[in-house]
Amino acid sequence: MNNPIRELSDAFPDAVVIVDSQGKTIAANAQAASLFGYNERELTNMPVKALFPGQLLTVPRQRSGREDTGRYFEVVGTRSDSTRFPAVAAWMPVLVDHFVAAVLTIRVIAESQSAQFVLSRGLETLIWEGQDRQALLRYLIRAREEERARIAADIHDDAIQVISAASLRAQQLGLQLRDPIARQVLGKLQETLNLSLDRLRQLIFDLRPPDLESGRLAAALRAYLEEMRSDSGIVYKLNDKMTAQAPDPVALLIYRNVREALTNVRKHARARTVTVELLDIEDGCLARVVDDGVGYDPAEVEARPGHLGLVLIKERAELAGGWCRIESCPGAGTTVEFWVPLAESFAEPGAGRGRAG
Amino acid sequence: MEHIFGRDHYRVIALIARIADISPEEAGQVTTAWKRTSPADRAKAWTELVRTTTETERYQILAAASLARREALAAAHRMQRMDWAFWAAASDAAAAVAAGPEIGNPYQTLTAPLATVMPSLAGRQAPADTSAADVTTAGRGGARTRKSASTP
Repeated sequence: MNNPIRELSDAFPDAVVIVDSQGKTIAANAQAASLFGYNERELTNMPVKALFPGQLLTVPRQRSGREDTGRYFEVVGTRSDSTRFPAVAAWMPVLVDHFVAAVLTIRVIAESQSAQFVLSRGLETLIWEGQDRQALLRYLIRAREEERARIAADIHDDAIQVISAASLRAQQLGLQLRDPIARQVLGKLQETLNLSLDRLRQLIFDLRPPDLESGRLAAALRAYLEEMRSDSGIVYKLNDKMTAQAPDPVALLIYRNVREALTNVRKHARARTVTVELLDIEDGCLARVVDDGVGYDPAEVEARPGHLGLVLIKERAELAGGWCRIESCPGAGTTVEFWVPLAESFAEPGAGRGRAG
Repeated sequence: MEHIFGRDHYRVIALIARIADISPEEAGQVTTAWKRTSPADRAKAWTELVRTTTETERYQILAAASLARREALAAAHRMQRMDWAFWAAASDAAAAVAAGPEIGNPYQTLTAPLATVMPSLAGRQAPADTSAADVTTAGRGGARTRKSASTP
């Protein structure tokens, strides 16, 4: 080994090992000897892989100018006493005495850096999992809408038609019956059939409110608020300040989100009043649902699973290219506000199809 | 951390780290300032944030906002000062910092309440040309075109 290279490697602050094309150590500096716990003579002729057992180390065989030379990669080194340490290493091919050798620079990762690596990788994993969860939720939201539309169409095209036909036949049969007891039984049967029809029509209404189909979002919300008032006594105020008309899929999304928020008010808030506002903001709709209920502690509620309704509100808004804020604290009621663009930047499956009811 | 909080990740982390040191009096100042801001202006600022950023950037902005909100919520618990305006202010400010001051007016609107106790947030002024029709900024994933950052 010529002296200039030796002097150069000794001057390095990092451990340096010079390796021939067969992967054997030609020389090592004092820092390498100290790091691995061998003396410099013991390191000479040692296969470099013995210093990094179980890891793929490809020795560069020529000065190819490849991009991967000179770049640090993570390795785990093994000392003479078999203890291991995390490190980063980099290859650099050099011409030594007319043949190509490779210089391996090894830098130990300090404990704090090591912890940072672990943390960084942990966060990456969380991000990937978060993105998977988000994709799954989006898929579920779409699937749910598709399913709603399919069920509404099936009820309209099949169940309602069949029951209507049965009701007509019962009426015809009634004209032929003379026995008063039989006529009474038939009357009860017709009542039952009519009740079934009413219930199925209400179900279709819940699945796809007819006001939404005629572009009247505020009217659809008012109908739901009125139903809520008569069921639970919660007084409502609806401020519709929207001048633009939301396209069907956007109106359906706003309706679903406001309704979800109102369902929470009904179930959990113990509120006396609720205010719903619809505002034009920046080519979109800002919807706000504010109640005067008991509120909740977000630290406690968000830490436990099972508040899917709130998650769905947020995901629906973000899926549409908007944003959402849900805030509360004990004694201060709850505020849900979200903004969605009126331009259809997303596909809400099932929306825009003909009304089934 | 850049891939999590975006190119201004150091500022986001500094902001989040500072939240734990906020005193009850400072929290009161932030809360008062947040409540003084018009909800419509704040909504416009958030809308501008989501409209002018790519999906990746939006993810980073929301990650910063979410973490800052959690820190502020924990701080509020420690101080026994539960007012959601406080953690909403922290969330707004972190989102704006992650998006960067290039967004102009929304940056000021969203950082202003927290800036009452963290003056360095207000120190980053929007570039003078953000009132122009289009501003092109280099995002993490390459150049991105932003629409006017002004709010009507």
